[in-house]
Amino acid sequence: MIRYPAFDPPEYIDWQADPRLVEEFARTIERDAGRKEIVSALDHKRLLSLYEGLVRNRLHDIMLKRWVKQGVISKAWLGTGEEATTIGAIHALDRSAASDGRPTDFVAPMIRNAGACHEMGMTVTDMLRGYLGTEDSPTRGRDLHIGDFQKGVIAPISHVGDIMAVTAGIALAFKLRREPRVALTWIGDGSAKAGVFHEAMNMAAVQRLPLIVILQNNQVALGTRLDQHHRASFLDWPAAYGVEGAAMDGNNVLDVYAAVKVAARHCREGQGPFLLIAETFRMGGHATHDEREARQTFAAELFERWGKRDPLGLFETYLIEGTMDLENGRRARKTGSPRERNLEVLKRVEERVTSEVEAAAEEALSSARTKMPRPEQAAEGVYAEHSRSSAQQASGIVF
Amino acid sequence: MAAITLLEAIRKGLWEEMERDDRVFLLGEDIGVYGGAFKMTEGFLERFGEDRVIDTPISESAIVGAACGAAMMGLRPVAEMQFIDFISCCFDILTNYAATSRYRQNIGIPMVVRGPSGGGVHGGPFHSQNVESFFLNTPGLKMVEPSTPYDAKGLIKAAIRDEDPVLFFEHKALYRNPRIKQEVPDDDYIVPIGKAAVRREGRDISVITYGVMVYTAMEAADRLQEEGIDIEVIDLRSLLPFDREAIVESVKKTSKVIILHEATRTGGMAGELTAVINEDAFEYLDGPIMRVTSIDTPVPYAPPLEEFFMPQVDDVLKAARSLAAY
Repeated sequence: MIRYPAFDPPEYIDWQADPRLVEEFARTIERDAGRKEIVSALDHKRLLSLYEGLVRNRLHDIMLKRWVKQGVISKAWLGTGEEATTIGAIHALDRSAASDGRPTDFVAPMIRNAGACHEMGMTVTDMLRGYLGTEDSPTRGRDLHIGDFQKGVIAPISHVGDIMAVTAGIALAFKLRREPRVALTWIGDGSAKAGVFHEAMNMAAVQRLPLIVILQNNQVALGTRLDQHHRASFLDWPAAYGVEGAAMDGNNVLDVYAAVKVAARHCREGQGPFLLIAETFRMGGHATHDEREARQTFAAELFERWGKRDPLGLFETYLIEGTMDLENGRRARKTGSPRERNLEVLKRVEERVTSEVEAAAEEALSSARTKMPRPEQAAEGVYAEHSRSSAQQASGIVF
Repeated sequence: MAAITLLEAIRKGLWEEMERDDRVFLLGEDIGVYGGAFKMTEGFLERFGEDRVIDTPISESAIVGAACGAAMMGLRPVAEMQFIDFISCCFDILTNYAATSRYRQNIGIPMVVRGPSGGGVHGGPFHSQNVESFFLNTPGLKMVEPSTPYDAKGLIKAAIRDEDPVLFFEHKALYRNPRIKQEVPDDDYIVPIGKAAVRREGRDISVITYGVMVYTAMEAADRLQEEGIDIEVIDLRSLLPFDREAIVESVKKTSKVIILHEATRTGGMAGELTAVINEDAFEYLDGPIMRVTSIDTPVPYAPPLEEFFMPQVDDVLKAARSLAAY
């Protein structure tokens, strides 16, 4: 895809596929027989849809970064470098409507998994409106953490560990109603150190809840390196809780897809929670404001090493260089490599998503000009019935 | 219709709601097989099964967090805190998650968190607290505390049916207190959240209180009657939202107010109610608003210490006499 020197991490600007990593990418998805079978069953439409999700996630983040530079917003929390862990997971879930009209499976992303929102069906326009705090944004301007219950997305909160327990509760509701549905959440290497992670993981194990937890190890807790806050191996954690678990390559969208697919099947069959460990790396700061500090926190080689593993670049190369013709899904014979055609197909996807994100930004900015919430709306919606006391305070009735 | 205790009334309310609505389920520590630390849920497991009476690990955050998630999905969880003191362990989930969900993401959390509160039973610092002030400053939560069996059944039903998270405080000194037994109708009735009750009408001084202190106020009122001081006792029943109209109406009538609660003094309900009275009825006041509360210490264990700590009838008498002199 097109790289954006003003917004991409330096390692991404002149990104070239490292043949060894491309080979490793292909090897990774063939390592496990079950996952291999799942990946090989993907047709060209599914593969393109994964690619489209990654591109949308990247361009959404780039738009936010552009807005920060333009002073439209003060900062943004980006998923750059970690997109595969989000997009692969969502695509592995059952997003078709259940009898309640909502998606079969539910997700509770962290703010860094914003890609979950658009891949569950929220519009990029709504997501960008969230940052602008407009009246027509998903929270009507109350919070920039967004979700959409009707689309199966629970909004993040900053006390990230809490979401573990809440998502366990969603899974509990599925279990009590005997519904073959799955709840999935992500948690960072940092937030997994909150006590509630332990409580929720253990309770989910005891109750055998259909809960998938993706431990998204991006090697940093805000500004504290993994080696400063972590001793054991995350791979030992599933056994410690008595739940099924596995590692997956957090920068390989197909490995994530297949791993979550296996986990979802396990959960749907009533076999209890699944704890997936994804190794990945945050290619920016905690947010856009501290990218300099992030560069000071880690050795340059680390950025360099992970920069070569750009999840988008690797998948794109896999698709371009692969034997599948992305136009029609046919496998090429020895003659007639589909390379040129595949490049063209991916370019069309990218152009379409670029237009989508640009139009979304225009629309969101238009909302910011004309649809900001009225100040007194701050007093509404705390309780189901309109709260008398807050209404009274809002109307300024004091002695 | 036999007279029953406060505990039996809550039990009855829970049981009836579970019979009426299969979305209602219970979760908490030792509530199933063991029947609950106070035997509140004894027999529930046998009747409703382990899907609806869930024994949990000692994990208050997971209990209340899971209740939030289940409530979002349309169930009606009732989470038990074995002692309400332990609610501090899930303070974050309650204040940051449950209380804000509707406002933030337009998802209501119809959940009840209930448990035994209060002192006077020599439970010491960790089994005797009243926790309402921790949550009074959290918009999005509701809080109720019944003082009679009739209200207990009606309020637990109202709490379960409410669309927002409700903290339900049960004073353990009232649980099995035979003196407050009451005939409670078998009918399906609720006591609305947000409505106070006038327990005793009087002309001279309003005592605004709730929970076990209602009885302290009533005893003081009887004694003061002999001295010619006519006390009105308002039982708030709901602490958040509280019944602003009932408070103001009583103050307008008596012009003198004592606010009585068992929770500690600084930053307690009394301070907030004082401000409300100042805002809405300042010109009717004919004396300072007085507070009778526990002192600002942890709840002490030894009987003489705990007695000194908690408001006694004598403290109300003293406050009333000095207020009557204005």
